Amino acid sequence: MSNASDTHVVVVGGGGTGAAILYDLVQRGFKATLFERGELTCGSTGRHHGLLHSGARYVVKDREVGRECMDEVRILTRIAPEAIEANRGIFVAFDEEELAFRETFEQACAEADIPAQWLTSEQVLAMEPRLNPGLLGGVMVPDGTLDAYRLPMHFFAGARKLGAVIRNFTRVESLVFEGRRIAGVTVHDLRTGADETVKCDLVINATGGWAGRLAAMADIELPITPAPGTMLAHQGRLVNNIIERLRPASDGDILVPQRGLSIIGSTQWQTDDPDDCTVPDADVEFLTKAAIEMVPDFKETAYHKAWAAVRPLAGASSTEEEGRELSRDFDVRDHAKLDNVEGMLSLTGGKATTLRAMGEKTVDVVCDLFDVDTPCRTASEPLPNYRHFFRQGVLV
Amino acid sequence: MNERTVAVYRTATQKVSEFTVPYNERTTIIDALEYIRLQEEPDLMFRQSCHHGSCGTCGVAVNGEFVLACIKRLADIPEDQPVRIEPLPTMHQIGDLAFDPAEFFNEFPDDITYTRVSDVNTDAAVPEGMEHYERFENCIECGLCVTSCPVTEDWMGPAALASIHRMVEKSPHEADRWLDLAADARGVERCTKNFSCSRVCPTGVAPGKRITLLGAAIKKRAKARAAEGESDA
Repeated sequence: MSNASDTHVVVVGGGGTGAAILYDLVQRGFKATLFERGELTCGSTGRHHGLLHSGARYVVKDREVGRECMDEVRILTRIAPEAIEANRGIFVAFDEEELAFRETFEQACAEADIPAQWLTSEQVLAMEPRLNPGLLGGVMVPDGTLDAYRLPMHFFAGARKLGAVIRNFTRVESLVFEGRRIAGVTVHDLRTGADETVKCDLVINATGGWAGRLAAMADIELPITPAPGTMLAHQGRLVNNIIERLRPASDGDILVPQRGLSIIGSTQWQTDDPDDCTVPDADVEFLTKAAIEMVPDFKETAYHKAWAAVRPLAGASSTEEEGRELSRDFDVRDHAKLDNVEGMLSLTGGKATTLRAMGEKTVDVVCDLFDVDTPCRTASEPLPNYRHFFRQGVLV
Repeated sequence: MNERTVAVYRTATQKVSEFTVPYNERTTIIDALEYIRLQEEPDLMFRQSCHHGSCGTCGVAVNGEFVLACIKRLADIPEDQPVRIEPLPTMHQIGDLAFDPAEFFNEFPDDITYTRVSDVNTDAAVPEGMEHYERFENCIECGLCVTSCPVTEDWMGPAALASIHRMVEKSPHEADRWLDLAADARGVERCTKNFSCSRVCPTGVAPGKRITLLGAAIKKRAKARAAEGESDA
């Protein structure tokens, strides 16, 4: 058995995944340093629409993903209650075809232990009077709204409190090799303009849609598809619960209330450059129409913002069709086993709701690699409030 | 797409540099900054996260006006005006437009909560257990109010005081404890009622009004206590 405190792990990428991994690492006793080229959560993480998934959206296709989401909803509402609007989601049947999907949907929810309750059209409209009055009923599940910025900042607050070194505005420029083993990173500190080498025992590539770029520094071709999607926010909180359509997941079928906004998502396309995700005009038109179908009053509310975020889909694909079929499951790739390069793990896939579980799964792999036998405790210990991240003083 | 010249403050030179950026009717200041970083200046430092006015990280000064870069649209600045992007002046600068908000967050009392009741729904058809909904506070803790405040003395500032007022509203049974905090020498009495905080707030929190209400509640409590003291004597 080894001592975790002798092991220095460098996490690259300050999004939700990096936050959860960093927290888990230091909680299990590892020395850990995180590098993020910009502000924390500036990539895809903060741009998430905020749907805390009970798993119902995925469950028909994949019971296990559904079950995992539900487990995480239970955990997150316990460890970070201030980062969640703990309401519900209603999968609404707006037409006969969607109504016909009810049985399949309820069956899948039951098999994955996702509490699902059928509501009559009268009940749905009593809960959400602004929904299209022609609706035929809906299934209520424990979805909610997460704060896409403050939830990961809770994890960063916990990590910092336990001694993690967090360096935002510090870009990783290259990997340092000792033979076929990665032994560190060279970084460029944007604050000082200085370049330095940081030695470590392991690099974790948690750069989401950018993971292919870091892997390429080790001449590794990573099977990942950066897939941006558009979201559109209007002013006005038109609903209190998440509204989705009772049908297999598609574009423009998620309406998320958050503070005083109503957010409709999403679309999906593929890109070679994860830094370029300009919103296509057609997406804004499409999403506006999709939102009005569900909530006619959306038409009367003012445009607030349209933006796009890059999903880190696991797997490579060459067509739009395949892109939608790619599993959103999370994968920890040990390059020693697959690419004959030691000292680096790359993460692909994943979703905001399961950030804690992704941290656990990754650090379990780290523990195996370094023969450390410390169990994960992130599910049982409440996180410090996100404000405590900053209250520990200025980051240097 | 049209093009626009924007001037961005750089720490290295202590002055603004000009860049040309493409824009349409939706393009915001943050889109312009991302474009510049991607195309010309990979080391440009600015804060951002959500891109839709919810996280509160991207406060900047545009032509001297304190705004969230992610929702301030270039098209809303008349074409005959320059676009000059500078850091928020009162924050702890760390480079270019970026700041570290540690001091800002230090002013918030420890146990200020961030969620509240959104709506109460007593319709008979509402399923059991769903009679009230929850939501986040409107305040996104961006610090624009603190930056805009003309008070130069050391004080808690409009954002922290507004958060204390929300706690008085949310838990009236604990009002005394919160009013004690607001009655601190660094609290409401420092406010000069300029209300720039309320004007600059991007989410309608109205900190100025909340500070005034806190002041009134503190006075009312003092009067009540004085009257109690007299009747006791």
